[in-house]
Order: sequence, then C-alpha cells, then structure tokens
Amino acid sequence: MDRRTLLQTLGGGFGLAGLTGTLQAATADPMAVRKPHFPGKAKHVIYLFLNGGMSQVDTFDPKPALIKYDGTPMPGAKIVTDRASGSLMKSPWAFKKYGQSGIEVSEIFPEVAKRIDDFCLIRSMYTDSGNHGPSLQIANCGHQLPGRPSMGAWVTYGLGTENNNLPGYVVLCPGFPVLGASLWTSGYMPSIYQGTHIQNSAVEPEKLIQNLRNGELTPQEQQRQLALLGKLNQGYMDRVGAQPGLDSAVRSMESAFRLQSEATDVFDIRKEPEHVRARYDISDFGRGCLMALRMVERGVRMVQVYHGNFQPWDSHDDIRIHAKLADKTDGPIAALVDDLKSRGLFDETIILIGSEFGRTPMIQNSGLEKLGRGRDHNTPGFTVLLAGGGIKGGTVYGSTDDFGYKAVEKPTHVHDLHATMLHCLGFDHTKLTYRYAGRDFRLTDVSGNVIKEILA
Amino acid sequence: MRALILREPVILEMRRALQISLCMLPVLAMGADDIAFFETRIRPLLAANCYACHTNSKMGGLRLDSRESVLTGGNSGPAIVVGNPEGSLLVQAVRRTHLTLKMPPTAQLKEEEVASLAEWVQRGAAWSKQESLPAKAHDASYVITPAQRAFWSFQPVRQQKPPTVKNKIWAKTAVDKFILAELESKGLTPVPAADKPTLLRRVTFDLVGLPPTLQELDNFVKDNTPQAFAKVVDRLLASPHYGERWARHWLDLSRYADGQLAASIDTPLPNAYRFRDWVVAAFNQDLPYDKFVKAQIAADQLPEVERAALLPGLGFQALGEQGHDQVDVTTKVFLGLTVGCAQCHDHKYDPIPTKDYYSLVGVFRSSSTGQYPLVSKAEVEAYEAHKKKVDAMKEVMDDYLILQQKLLPDMLARNTADYMVAAWKKDFSTKHLDRQTLDRWIVYLTDPKKEHAYLNPWFDLMKTNPSEDQVRKAAQDYQLFALNLIEEGKEVEDKNYVAFGGKKGMKNENNRQYTNIVSLDTLKFYQWRELVSGPYSTDGFKAPAGVYYYGPKEMDRWLGGFAKDHLEQLRIELKALEKDLPPMYPFLHTLKDTDKPADISVAIRGDEKNKGEIAPRGFLSILSHGDRQLFKNGSGRLELAEAIASAANPMTARVMVNRIWQYHFGAGIVRSTSNFGQMGERPTHPELLDYLAKRFVDSGWSVKSIHREILLSNTYALSTANDIRNAEVDPENKLLWRAHLQPRLDIEALRDSLLAVSGKLDSQIGGAPSPLDKGSNRRSIYLTVSRTRLDPTMALFDFPDANATSDNRPVTIGPLQGLFFLNSTFVADQAKALTDRLTNEVGADNKTRIERAYLLLYSRRPDARELQLGIDYLNEGSADTSKAWQRYLQTLFGSGEFTSVN
Repeated sequence: MDRRTLLQTLGGGFGLAGLTGTLQAATADPMAVRKPHFPGKAKHVIYLFLNGGMSQVDTFDPKPALIKYDGTPMPGAKIVTDRASGSLMKSPWAFKKYGQSGIEVSEIFPEVAKRIDDFCLIRSMYTDSGNHGPSLQIANCGHQLPGRPSMGAWVTYGLGTENNNLPGYVVLCPGFPVLGASLWTSGYMPSIYQGTHIQNSAVEPEKLIQNLRNGELTPQEQQRQLALLGKLNQGYMDRVGAQPGLDSAVRSMESAFRLQSEATDVFDIRKEPEHVRARYDISDFGRGCLMALRMVERGVRMVQVYHGNFQPWDSHDDIRIHAKLADKTDGPIAALVDDLKSRGLFDETIILIGSEFGRTPMIQNSGLEKLGRGRDHNTPGFTVLLAGGGIKGGTVYGSTDDFGYKAVEKPTHVHDLHATMLHCLGFDHTKLTYRYAGRDFRLTDVSGNVIKEILA
Repeated sequence: MRALILREPVILEMRRALQISLCMLPVLAMGADDIAFFETRIRPLLAANCYACHTNSKMGGLRLDSRESVLTGGNSGPAIVVGNPEGSLLVQAVRRTHLTLKMPPTAQLKEEEVASLAEWVQRGAAWSKQESLPAKAHDASYVITPAQRAFWSFQPVRQQKPPTVKNKIWAKTAVDKFILAELESKGLTPVPAADKPTLLRRVTFDLVGLPPTLQELDNFVKDNTPQAFAKVVDRLLASPHYGERWARHWLDLSRYADGQLAASIDTPLPNAYRFRDWVVAAFNQDLPYDKFVKAQIAADQLPEVERAALLPGLGFQALGEQGHDQVDVTTKVFLGLTVGCAQCHDHKYDPIPTKDYYSLVGVFRSSSTGQYPLVSKAEVEAYEAHKKKVDAMKEVMDDYLILQQKLLPDMLARNTADYMVAAWKKDFSTKHLDRQTLDRWIVYLTDPKKEHAYLNPWFDLMKTNPSEDQVRKAAQDYQLFALNLIEEGKEVEDKNYVAFGGKKGMKNENNRQYTNIVSLDTLKFYQWRELVSGPYSTDGFKAPAGVYYYGPKEMDRWLGGFAKDHLEQLRIELKALEKDLPPMYPFLHTLKDTDKPADISVAIRGDEKNKGEIAPRGFLSILSHGDRQLFKNGSGRLELAEAIASAANPMTARVMVNRIWQYHFGAGIVRSTSNFGQMGERPTHPELLDYLAKRFVDSGWSVKSIHREILLSNTYALSTANDIRNAEVDPENKLLWRAHLQPRLDIEALRDSLLAVSGKLDSQIGGAPSPLDKGSNRRSIYLTVSRTRLDPTMALFDFPDANATSDNRPVTIGPLQGLFFLNSTFVADQAKALTDRLTNEVGADNKTRIERAYLLLYSRRPDARELQLGIDYLNEGSADTSKAWQRYLQTLFGSGEFTSVN
C-alpha cells in the first residue's frame, strides 16, 4: 500500500486510524513490525487453551478442607451455580509442594510441577458467565457478546508480525472448539488480524492445510503468476479506490504464496530430532505445542493451541477424566517450556495456560446418571498459569476461599489478565485502542488493571 | 460499560456534594407536571438509551430504573445530584464533558435529550411510583412497562410519505427520497452512479448469484431506453436461478441441512432436500410471504386446496429439534426477537417473560414430527409390512448375538487366574486360554496406573520378584474378586431393569432402558468397566473395551456346531428379506398435532425438573393486542402462524423487508437483522423501513415487489466511489452515500461463477443433494450440507454452521483462501475448461481470447495495459500455450476483480 492508498484508506474509514493515533506513526503495511508504547519484555504469545473448563481444585489450587468436608454440603454462603450442585467432593488426587517456591501442584501434572518455579499461578480468577459460549468470548475477546476482536487480533494489530511468510496469528485445533471462528475473529478490525485456523489433527503439512501444494507449478512459475496478479489487483484498486476489506482480500494471495514454502517447513514437526519430537508426539495438543514452538521461533506473533475439539475439559460426568486430559497436556507443556528456554525464546514469549472458567468444588448433581462424579462450571473462582517473558516465576497470586469456590483474596477478572498480558508486550491496555463506530474500543473494554505483583 | 474507576478524591467529593445538597435543599414536592415530564421525556429516553446496560446488568454497578438506584449510583458514585445538573455525573456523561465517563458509549444523545435530562435533575428528579423493571425470574405478575411498550419496533407500522428533498432529479423513487433526505440533513451528497456493466454485474450476482453472460451484457449496454434496467431486473426475477440464490439466504436462516440436528454422529436425512426445493420454488413463484410463513409453521392445518403445495414448508420446523430450537429459530427468523433468551429467566432486555417462552414451547411440544409419504397408502403399507419383517428378523438375530455375548465374559472370567499367570509368564501355550484375550491381559497388566486400587496387591507383588506360587495365589484372589464383581454388576442391571417394569432375567435388549437408578460404587464401576464393559468414550477420553468384552459382531469365532449353524441360518434369512425390501418411499418432514395437546409448566431457571406455574399456550404478550392472545385449537400452531403472518404484527413485515435490504446492500436498515429488540441496533432509516413494510403488505406480501422497489432506485445504482467529505461524517457509510463493495463473493457465488465461466456448470434445478467431494458440478445450493462435518472448502469461505440460524455471514479473508486459488485442483480444472471454451469460441489469437476472458469474468474489456500484461505473460512462459493459458486464467480468477462485487 503506497502513501496515497493509505490516505484514501484512512479517508474511507478503513480504520487504521487507531494506529496512527496511539502508536508510532503508521507504516504502510498493517502487518509491519511496530514498536509498542514502551519496551515490553515479551514479543510473542502462546495461549494454551484447555477448553471446557479445567477444575482448579484438582490441578493447581489445593483445598484440604474438601477432604474434611467431602460428601457434605458446603458450609456458609448460598451457592448459585448453573445447575443443581451437590455436596463437596474432595479431589481424587494428592497435592505436593514442588520447587524452590514450594507451590503445591496436583499429582496429575507432575512435569509442570517440576518446573513450577517458572510459572505464576493466578488462583483468584473470576469471570462473568457460567455458560461456555459467553465465557469463551470473554477469555478470548474480552466481551461476552460475539463481534469483538480476539486477543490475537489485538496483539498483531499492536505489534505486527516478524515473519511475512506466515500468518501473524495462528490458531491450532484438531477441528473446532465451541463457537469456532468467533474466538479468533478480527471483529471490526481489518480481517488481516484474524487468526488463521489450522486443523492440526494430521502430521503431514499437506494434510494439515488444504491446497498447500501445487502438483504442477514450480515456485518460479507461481511467482510469475503472482507478479501478474499484483499488477492486475493494483489496477483494480486504482480504479475502485479504497474499499473496506478489499486490500486484505487482495493480499491473501501473496501471503498464500509465501505460506506454501514456509508452512511446509514450520508445520512439519518431523523435522525436529526424535528426542525433541517424542516429548510432544503424544496428542494433538502436544503436536500443537511443538508447532507453536516452531512458529514462535520463526517470528509468528501469537499462537493459540486448543486442547481439542468441542470442549474436552468439560468433565460433568466424571472428574477423573481430568487425569487423562492432564496426561496429554502435562508433558507437552513441560517440553514447550524447556525448548523455549533452550532456544532462547522463553524470556520473550508469554505462555498463558487456562480455560474459560473452572469447575465447582461440589459434585454435579446429575440425577440418574450412572456416574455422578463430575463437577459443574465455576465462574467465581478458577486458576490460570502464566510463564515466560515479563512474568515472575514461582509465584502465586490471589486465592480462593477454603473450598476453592470463590476468589476472595485479590480477585482477578479476565480483563486484568488481558491488561497484564498486554503490559508484558509493552502496551498500556487503556491506550491500545481501535476506533470503530464512533468509539475507541479496547481489549479490556472499560476496565482491567495490570497485576504488578506478578511482573518480573 | 463496566466499572469506571474514578480516583478516590473525586468520589468523596461527589458524596459530599450529594450530602450537602440533600441537607440544604428542601424536599421538592413532586408535582403532576414533573411526573408527566418524567414519563414522557425521561423514562423513554432512559429506556431507549440506558436500560440495556443499566438495569439488571448493572454496568459499572449502576442501575437507572428507580430513583433510589439513580441516587445511590454506581461504582463512580451517585449518578445525579438533585437540583445540580452540572454536578451530576449522569449529566456530565451525556454532555461528554466528564473526563472519562462518556455515555451512551456508542452514540451521543440528541441535544434536546441532554437538555431534558439536565432539566429533570434541576427540577428535582421526579420519578413516578410505578415499577422498576421486573427482575425476578418466572414472576407470575410480570408487567410490561409503558417504556417497554414504547420501544420502536413494537409500534404499529406507519404509513410513511416519502420526504421532500432538495435534489429532486436524483431522487427518482420513494426509496431515494428517504435516503437522500437523510443524506441532505447531514450535508452529504450521493456519489455518482455506477457504470452500466458494473451495475449489471452487481444486480446479476445479487439476484441469481452468477456473473452476467456476454449476451446479457451486450443487450443491456446497447439498450438506451429508460426502462433498460427495469427490463434486466424483470428478466432476472423471472429466472429460475433467482430462487436458487434467494432460497440460500433463507436456508441460512432456517439452519437447513441434509442431516439430523444435534446428532452426535452424522445422520443423513435423504428427504430433507424437499424443503430446500420448496423454498427455491416459493421464491421463484413469489409465494406471498404471509403464506410462506404460515406454511413453515402450520402447513398441515391450512385449507385443503393449498395444503399439498405448502406442506414441504414444514421442514423448517421438522428439520429442527422439538421445543427450544423451534421457538428460538421461529421467533428470531420471523419476528426478529430473541425469545430464546427467556428460557431460564425473563428476558433481560426485552419484554418477554419466561412464561411467554414456555407458552410457545408448549405449542411445539404439542406437535410431533412426522413423515408425510409422497406415494399411495398401499405402497406405504406394503413397504412398512416388509420392513417390519426385516426388523423382526434383525431383532431375533441381535437378541441371539447379545445373549451369546453376555454369556461369554462369565465363561472367560472363570479362567482369570490362568490368564493373569500366563500373562505374567508371557506363556502362550496354555491350551484353554484364548490368544486375543491373553494379549489383552498382557496389555492390561503392563500399566499399573489404574483408577482404582483393586489390582494394587498384584502390582505390589510384581515389584518383589515373586515366585510362581505367589503369583498364582494373587491371581486366584483377584479372580474371586472379579467373579463377585461381575455378579454384582448383573444384579445392579437387574434391579434397574425391574425398577423400570421388566421382569428379572427376561430382558429384551432392544427396549431396555439404560437409565440407572442404582449403581456400582464408582471405583468398582471403573474396575467393572475394565473387565466386561464395551469401549467407552466421552469428550477427549477413550477407554478401550474390557478384557472380556467382545461385541456382537465378534461372536462368530466363539460359536461352533449347532450354535454356529443357527447363526448362519439367521443371516441367510435376513439377507433374503433385506434383498426384497424396496428403497424407502419418498416423504416430507412435517409436523402434526399430538393427540392430546397440552400446556406445559415454566421450567424455573430453565430446569425442567423445577416446575413453575403452567404457561397456557398463546402468543407473545408484547405482540398481543389488549389481553394476551391464548390459543384454543389443537396445538395452537395455526393460531401462532396467523399471529405472526399478520399485517397487524409490527415485526413480521419489517423484519423481512429489512432482510431483503441487507442481502442487497450488505447491511440492513436495522443492522441486527434477527434482533429488533433492545440489544439490537436501531434503524438508520426508520421511516424507510416502515414505508417498505407497508408496501410489502399492500403488494400482497410480494417479495419480488420489494426487490423492484429497492433495485430500481438510484440508491442501488450508486457507485462505490469514495468521497473524503462524506467519509468524515459517515465513515461506515451507514447512510448509503455510496454502494458497499462486497469484498469477497460468498462461497456459493464464487464456486458457481467459476463453473459458469468455465462452461461446466450443471444447471439442473432441484433434487437430491450431491456431495462436493465427489466432484459435483451442480450449483452450490444443491451440495450436501452436513451438520457435523462441514465440507472444508465451504467452511473456509464462511459457510455457516447449520446447527443455528445465521442471518449474516461473516466475511473472513485469509491466506488459506488464497491457496484455494493458487493450488486447488478445482480452480485449475476450471481454468483448463475455460481455456478450451475460449479457443472454441474465438479461436487461438491471444488478444481476442484475452478480451473474451475479461468480458466473461469482469463484464468489461481489458484496457491496453491489461491486454499487454496478458500477452507478455503468455509469451514469456512455457512453450505449451494451453498450459500458459491455464495459469493465466487461474490468475484472472484469483484477482480481486473476480472475487469481489463492485
């Protein structure tokens, strides 16, 4: 986009104005690397999403009181959950202290436990809705209703990307999580900031990405095509002037071309040595973590890995399934931390691990179900994990009540988490704005506070 | 808006100010004038602009629906200081003089509204005693407030006279006058009209979803009569492809698919397409929209003479799920109301009590889905009779296999100790042990991590380098436990069975109820599962079959002698019966009333076990005139259909004309096309919306008449040219000073256009769906739509999820779509076919072929530069001219000019 086109674009309300106003002078390329408000510790984000709702009291928030009160109603306050909840249920798993920090972790996360000094646990998270849909929206886009840009869109809008041959923001899921594409949308921002969704159930790059290869054409021949296409498109754009969405439609061909060679490389985890690969190659999620590592290594700004399709962590019937899920998750997270470190990327990457909400300390009252050993959705209190650039490892922030139901000490809303993330990337979350429909929008809507205590 | 955090001193200051003002001011007597002022000026203003966030949702901790809550204020302190507008946060916020509080967040209030608010605060902030918003769920005494009734979309459609405008020459039609009046009031001027080829391409995509043919282009360009464009519109509306294009919009709305809704595995419904074909025909025939609506709710109850023709419309309901889904989709699609939000509590924003919701659920629960055969009764009976025989035979065979299958674990389990010892020794020579079962034991005993402790003694022993005797002893102990456990499991099953009315030991497996009222202890259940249960899977977790489990299909190898012969014989008989079974007769998915239609109870907080008051079947309170209209005939569906498809209903006509508008302009007059409620958007041109709605009803609900009303305007013919001055005032082009460029064709138009220009399009209309991955060249509307496995190419280009109504597809644009053009065989095939077509039609000359290609793809000729680019490309490249051409055309396909509509 040349300067003239850019000006037209601005005049046409395409919306890049937010960048000129709040960041450094706008560059012509919406994906060009941009400096944030202040030097941030981190440059990349890896968001590992345990979709469905990870139970805090079975993983990272031990509650001995649950053992004592197992099978009895929760004493004290009246509990409001989505469905009828039963008595308290102790965790089937034991907790132990680990590392220098002595943070307690459940036995189903033994590998993460060994590296707990690298992590910050926020045990006092809360969110606004007990339904998956709205809570997924909040966790990903900062608002219950669909249509707001996702965190990845904000991050790429703010920082651009370091590798123009790959999308700036990639979302990995074997298929689709609940709500699908609205979790990685660019909302009212230009669609170039939208997450590129890749169904990572296969290993071969050709199977991961449809139409990745051209059976007939050599890259040189394709380059000729592309050169021609560029001229044709320029002619068309000169004729019709600035038009919302057109520019990115046109660009998608160029990025597709570059994606072919780069993607063949980056998504091919077989290129990793066996000892590296083995630690990830146990689940789709694990392979996703390895792809995330390879992408960050190549300058992709943000990668989100969903644990699986639909909502695997939604253990209503049987909480013990958490052990199976943790089994597929624990090793790859540990491997990712180790490999980010050995490749010198740990300090410049934020790793965020979490769910849309937690699970009740109470057993779910599921009527005539054969196995009523599950837990329901819990919004007043849950845990997320952070590690990497800008984050103080070996820390616990906030706490829930004696039963792990409600955040009592330093309650932390999802907006606070987003604000903190953006801070680590060098942004004042109140100033990273995008003007749309006459209003300056933010990822954090109109609230959010940076949690200074957990910053390195 | 969430909480706005002010610095502490400010809050203190505010509080102090309030205390002072309360102390010093005499309590104002609230006069009737003040109350009237409040009711006419303030309450409607608050309701329209603030209640969405500041009632039950208490954004920023603030409620604005009672005087007390306004005085108490929210997180930032009291909202008003009585008698002091300047010192009132509320006034500062709406004046936008406050540093951070600027309300409402999206649109500034009008000057006179701001003045009214200030005056109200000045005059003492009178508030009439009446209610605050009803907040309690399932409240029997739900009252719709005057403010709620006053909401714009609930007002009757008014006759609107097109306004007077300055530029009378430009404003050709009524639509133009409404649009121009608004533009002129903001000082905006419409940009020039699009040129003829652009306009033709636009309207052709709009109405039939294909690019214009060369002949059509030529005719229109040469036609200099004033009616030239009207002729084009008439021709397109008369084309059978019009219905294919517009039916697809409707299918998005009606969450149409060729498979079952909410099925965990793909369950095709081979007759579903009859609904799709009916919708196509309905649009083509311009079936009056009121009838179109009624057919989709109650065709089975419409007059005999028209019933047969309308019956397929019931697929709208029957392809959904009984109850909640039907209420949700029916109200969103026809009424633009999110009634579904009232399932668990009274609607938070719109006057829709939970009771109304369950009234409607009752209507649909009093209706059941059925299959309406399209063949004679005799044929149906013959088929059913034969089918019954097949089913009976299957049941005999299944029962036999299940019986064998149930016996097997008992037999195998008696050798548990031997299996364990053999597994330990890796000894495969023991005669009476089954190899597959032994292999399973070896695997099972490899991993000591179990969810229970029953095998702990065994695994503990393993760590001690035990002797064979010790191992055998442990195995025998475990065998005893296992046999008991299997027995206990059977008892549990029997108890459950007896409890549900069966007789002990006489189980018909096909009819067995699997709901359990007693159960094994959880840990025992896990162990039981690992021994004898079939494979078990749930989200993200799979347990393999128990070591002794073999499914009905695996029974053969266990059977011998008579037992085996018997099974063989059953199989032969079944096969013979199945061979004679004709394919199932065609039928329609329809609804009919149940034998005993009944009201249902409100489910408190959406929990059907928690029953509230009875919700008599009837129409929505807010849309009923006077007393709420209760339904008396059968399920009440016909009455519901009539209440919706009525000119007196303020929603129905408005919602539909707005949808038509959206599909023409890219955005509706009300942008939230399925939500005309409080949380939806407000119309940009309310008078125009009413004008069109009225015209719609007056035309006999003719959809085509609304197309004409819109398409023949100068507004529709605007170009997409930019105008810096206009853009400053209205950057989103909400007021339509130019046309919206559609940045990417939807997948149907994209795929169909590629096939159309390549000459490969199979234009057969209607019929059974064709799977895309089988290389079908039919129009995209006829491709199979699955609810569980969306075709990846369709998904890539935003084809909506068919499990929910979709009123406006998002347009996502990304590199993966680029790959489709660069590398997909589909695009390459079309480029190849088009190469052949060009050569056949105009010969081998490159220049002529390029010109023809431009006309076909872009509806225009190339300019000199473009021509040269093409010629250079073709000359430089490979020696194989047909290959070079193919690549050239592939590039033309990928260009923005082909994939967008200007």
